[in-house]
Amino acid sequence: MATGAPNQARRSSPAVTDRRAELTLGALAVSVLVLVGLMLATVAIKAWPSFSANGLAWFGPGGDVVTQFRAMHAGVPLPGHSLLYFRAWPLIWGTLLVTVIAVVLALIASTLAAIFLTEFAPAPVRRVLEPVVRLLAGVPSVVYGLIGILAIAPWVNENLISNSRKQSVAYVVQLNGDNLMTAALILTVMILPIMVALSAQALSSVPASWREGSAALGVNRWRTIWRVSLRTARPAIAAAIVLATARALGEAIMLAMVSGGRPFAANPLDGITFLFEPVQPLGATIVQEFGGQTTGAVANTIYAIAAVLLVSAAFLSFAGWAVKQPLKRYGIGV
Amino acid sequence: MRAHRTLMLSLIATIALAAPASAVARPLIIGGSTSVLPLAQKLATAYHRAFPKIPSPKVGGGQSDVGISGAASGRFDIGDSSRDPIRGVDPTGLVFTKIARDGVCVITNPQNPLSNLSAENVEGIFTGRIRDWSQVPGARVSGPIDLFDRDGASGTQDAFQHIFLGETLKISPSATAETSNGLEQNAISSDKQAIGFVSFAYTSGVNAVGYQGIPCTLRNAKSGQYGGVRNFWMVTKGVPKGEAAKFLAWVTKPGNQTVRSIVNSQWIAIH
Repeated sequence: MATGAPNQARRSSPAVTDRRAELTLGALAVSVLVLVGLMLATVAIKAWPSFSANGLAWFGPGGDVVTQFRAMHAGVPLPGHSLLYFRAWPLIWGTLLVTVIAVVLALIASTLAAIFLTEFAPAPVRRVLEPVVRLLAGVPSVVYGLIGILAIAPWVNENLISNSRKQSVAYVVQLNGDNLMTAALILTVMILPIMVALSAQALSSVPASWREGSAALGVNRWRTIWRVSLRTARPAIAAAIVLATARALGEAIMLAMVSGGRPFAANPLDGITFLFEPVQPLGATIVQEFGGQTTGAVANTIYAIAAVLLVSAAFLSFAGWAVKQPLKRYGIGV
Repeated sequence: MRAHRTLMLSLIATIALAAPASAVARPLIIGGSTSVLPLAQKLATAYHRAFPKIPSPKVGGGQSDVGISGAASGRFDIGDSSRDPIRGVDPTGLVFTKIARDGVCVITNPQNPLSNLSAENVEGIFTGRIRDWSQVPGARVSGPIDLFDRDGASGTQDAFQHIFLGETLKISPSATAETSNGLEQNAISSDKQAIGFVSFAYTSGVNAVGYQGIPCTLRNAKSGQYGGVRNFWMVTKGVPKGEAAKFLAWVTKPGNQTVRSIVNSQWIAIH
């Protein structure tokens, strides 16, 4: 307090120091908010011309994205349209396809892996696997992209796509190793570690007494895992799905490397060929096109894509908060 | 108090350490076209060797549009562009300095060592009218053609469009667009049914196809027989000033043998 011995009066009192620290930290926190606000405002302002020129049809199908970008680069509008004419449906569809396929595959694999880690793995195996999973979660996406572009995509092109398959759709789209399947599989591997880590953590925090209770009632181990452990951990697994979806949605570099270059709305009616059709998700499109900022129209369109990604990220963040609420009932924090 | 003193001391130390670095001239920052990149790197190294007191310029890649917009925004002191200026699209107030000329080759996989394509064949393949190698005379592979294009910000794409397709034809939108010469080269070297186009300096590991009976070689490009030749530019915001002016004056000095021999190793010298 401000009283105290005279020789201490020279120093600032703890209360003042506290208040100063509080103000400094408060200012830092507010500046983060201001930065986020400025960023949102910039994106919104720059994106607005693209949205206002196209209306809600921005999100719809119509024409070819490459042709539309070329027109903007050249500064020559497509006949009968404004320079900002843009239809993002192939990009949105590509994002949905890649994200949903990757998250579903990763959900199945990660749940099984988490069950193994928490219920079956002997302690030495667990001691090795847990750090490895954490390490994998930290691998930068560009490394996955590099492996994809130099090894996996050429292999897929050479071995999995036959000439007759290429011929069957030759007048619609060209098939090569950069396709939906390659992108979705690499993305699955990318988001898997974080899902395994979160699911395993949730499974291991299920109170042992609940499982023991189940066992005491004569329920076998698998049924206990299925009915007690997994059911309890369900909200945590849902949270993991949300987090993985956010990562998948925002992933740009890797996807631009292994799926970019051809914005095409892959058609599930094409059967197996569908998996080999190219896609170009929203984030990858920004990477692919950001070089063309010299012309205003390209910049506006790219900012519009960024705005869509930001809004989806905000939604996911809210969803992540919402799915965690039921966990609090059990006193399990994630 | 002690914490404060530590903080002050470390601040002073940081400033003291940083001071000598800022006393020396900042290196020039050059970036843009991946076609110009190998030439700009060689020129930067030779420039530093000729003037050891001037730090070696830092050279990066991107695309021609990145070079042009980067020069305009001040991100680069000098932007590289492998396409000619486009009035109405490029930011105003930029000065384009021509530094060399370069050949653009159509390339295929080494397993498909196509030696020549007629103008009609190139048009047919790249506009998507010809979609199968069986329709291309001289092809050693069969099956659908995997067409590779560059993205819209690429100077090579712009040059290919103007030189090989003219003003009315467009590259088939079903082509896969790569974002750099290196990625284009990589895509074609790993796909035996592929065809695309790159700057002459990126033709190792792939098969350079002749055009209208003239092989795509440096000699033919220099003699003017090979038609697929375009300009390399270095772009500055306004008339070049200071270090950028010094560098550009050295690069464009008539009869500068160092520059001439570097440029002539893979490109066409013009100064």
